[in-house]
Amino acid sequence: MSSVDNFFLLMEGFATAMQPMYLLYALGGVLVGTAVGVLPGIGPAMTVALLMPITYSLEPTAAIIVFAGIYYGGMYGGSTTSILLNTPGESSSIVTALEGNKMAKAGRGAAALATAAVGSFVAGTIATVLLSFVAPYVAAFAVQIGPVEYVALMVVAFLTVGALLGSSVLRGLASLGLGLFIALVGFDALTAQQRYTFGSPFLADGIDVVLVAVALFAVGEALYVGSRLRHGPIKIIPVTGGWTSWLRKEDLRRSWKPWLRGTAIGFPVGTIPAGGADVATFLSYASERKLAKGKNKKEFGKGAIEGVAGPEAANNAAAAGVLVPLLTLGIPTTATAAMMLVAFQRYQIPVGPQLFESNSTLVWALIASLYVGNLMLLVLNLPLVGIWVKILQIPRPYLYSGILVFAVLGAFSVNFTPIDVIILLIVGILGFFMRRYGYPIAPMVVGLILGPIFESQLRRSLAISQGDPVALVQSPVAATIYVVLLVIFALSMLLKRRQRQFEAMVAANADAPDVVRGSATAPETAVAPVTRASDTREDTDR
Amino acid sequence: MSTSVQNAPGSGTAAAPGAPVGELVFALIIVSIGVVGFVAGAGIQTPPSASDIGPRAFPFAVSALLVVVGAGLVLQVLRGHRGAADEGEDVDLEAKTDWLTVGKLSGFVLLHAFLIVPLGWPVAAALLFFGAAWSLGARPWWRNLMTAIILALVLQFVFGGLLGVSLPPGFLEGFGVFGG
Repeated sequence: MSSVDNFFLLMEGFATAMQPMYLLYALGGVLVGTAVGVLPGIGPAMTVALLMPITYSLEPTAAIIVFAGIYYGGMYGGSTTSILLNTPGESSSIVTALEGNKMAKAGRGAAALATAAVGSFVAGTIATVLLSFVAPYVAAFAVQIGPVEYVALMVVAFLTVGALLGSSVLRGLASLGLGLFIALVGFDALTAQQRYTFGSPFLADGIDVVLVAVALFAVGEALYVGSRLRHGPIKIIPVTGGWTSWLRKEDLRRSWKPWLRGTAIGFPVGTIPAGGADVATFLSYASERKLAKGKNKKEFGKGAIEGVAGPEAANNAAAAGVLVPLLTLGIPTTATAAMMLVAFQRYQIPVGPQLFESNSTLVWALIASLYVGNLMLLVLNLPLVGIWVKILQIPRPYLYSGILVFAVLGAFSVNFTPIDVIILLIVGILGFFMRRYGYPIAPMVVGLILGPIFESQLRRSLAISQGDPVALVQSPVAATIYVVLLVIFALSMLLKRRQRQFEAMVAANADAPDVVRGSATAPETAVAPVTRASDTREDTDR
Repeated sequence: MSTSVQNAPGSGTAAAPGAPVGELVFALIIVSIGVVGFVAGAGIQTPPSASDIGPRAFPFAVSALLVVVGAGLVLQVLRGHRGAADEGEDVDLEAKTDWLTVGKLSGFVLLHAFLIVPLGWPVAAALLFFGAAWSLGARPWWRNLMTAIILALVLQFVFGGLLGVSLPPGFLEGFGVFGG
């Protein structure tokens, strides 16, 4: 396959994606994606899980384009929230919040939003170009590998997703194990034996992946937020001025290099499962901070535009990078990618190395729609930021009640039986306790979805070697993959340690009066944040 | 009710407020799922013709992972290493866990499950929204009710009518636009 062929295939993809109907689907996807990215408590993974019922009525290309739009849109929307909302967000957006929130408070919110949006566009577009040219080669290589190498790749995915996402290695692995366990319930695909069904006919067909994902993401989140809902008014920092004046020459001059550096960091980090976008944004922030000179360096911690431009670009580039292992190997490394894999499975499209050959029209239409979606997102996010700010003000009781209603809708439409709603509640309560005790959710979802594929490849490998486990590491390619795994691990551990030191430093800075959060509810908490910061951040086990 | 307020001696958590009883129980549950995995896994039939490692090996491996990791977590919690509760824009980490709200929300989801068939999806969904919004502190009740009814009808129209998802329309049976 030459790159000229790929170029023509991409052009054909554009011909498909530019059809008015698909443009509408892409627009719908990015609109929903931006909205859920802006809204706290709901992210792209949850949204794709909740919208899985559309796979019943839409044809595959349309549904995949919608989901891809949601995926990219979610990345854009998140930055708006972390820049304008005066409360701490999730750790993945904490880096953007760090400088962006300070900029907004200093009246430079518009510039922060603009550099985030344009940076996301630049990074998203470059990373999509890289995806279009790298992915076919990876796929061409991947079709040659056998089950043994496949097992090795999935071990890498399991361990990196399990051990590196989240703050605690053991909790991540426990979450992964729970996912693998739930995936075992039902008939064994190879021997048709019942496993862990306990004689129940409801369990014989297995527990539906979408049901578990919706329960963990939506019900677990609603219960958890409900248990600790932040009361009082929602404080949003106002943005002033027209959007055309947002990015001044000076801002642009300081932003373009961080955008490119963020892209260069984000795409490879997204491609290898080294902890997801979280690590990419942190790396980008740390390098921008290091590279800044003179006056700009002093601005770090007080609202430096480089600290928004770099991490936001890295975030979006990583999102495109994640699609490389998903589309070429069928290995998802984030929860959203895992849900997209489920969408492919719903259409009986085999995801794996053969995807580029067997469903070439679909894949190239998907990639083309990413270019289109990126452009739409830039247009949607710059002039229309006012609309997203309005969405941010939706009363929280309604937001989480709405999430619950969507969750029961998704659960019921799996098999059209109310028993699934009860299973939804049970798994949702599990998700509540996982959040409460610091267990990451993503490894469980990835384990749930990759578990059955992993087992069948493992058993195929061992059938070929007649049960000799040494064969699993004897192939040179597999052995190389395991060595790379060790290197990734060593590097990630090093990075994690630096990230923690860095977060501890940030937490210490956050005690300064101008960032005291939650003061609206309790005026007497002037000293409380100090103890809270040390309680929640230092007590993470290492 | 609240497990985080009770005190268990010897847990050695100097920095964290309250004893980690709940967290300990959760780690023990992970261990016990692994144990159940072994016990129930022994009952999985292996056909004699199986040419590979059979349907039991992987369940055993997963069970072993759960037991080992769970035991490690029990030790960690006992030694005072606590998990960091999930952060979020709407989460007030200083607030005590409000078990009553969790109970109410779970109760309304359960009620919804039992009402879908007798009353139809729109009524059951509207009741869920109304109940959940009230549990989370939204007032006044009539605005909650209006929002609940509109949302339920819109969802029934979009998913039941337009997208063809077969949600039982209940009293809307006969109106083609709401599906059925």
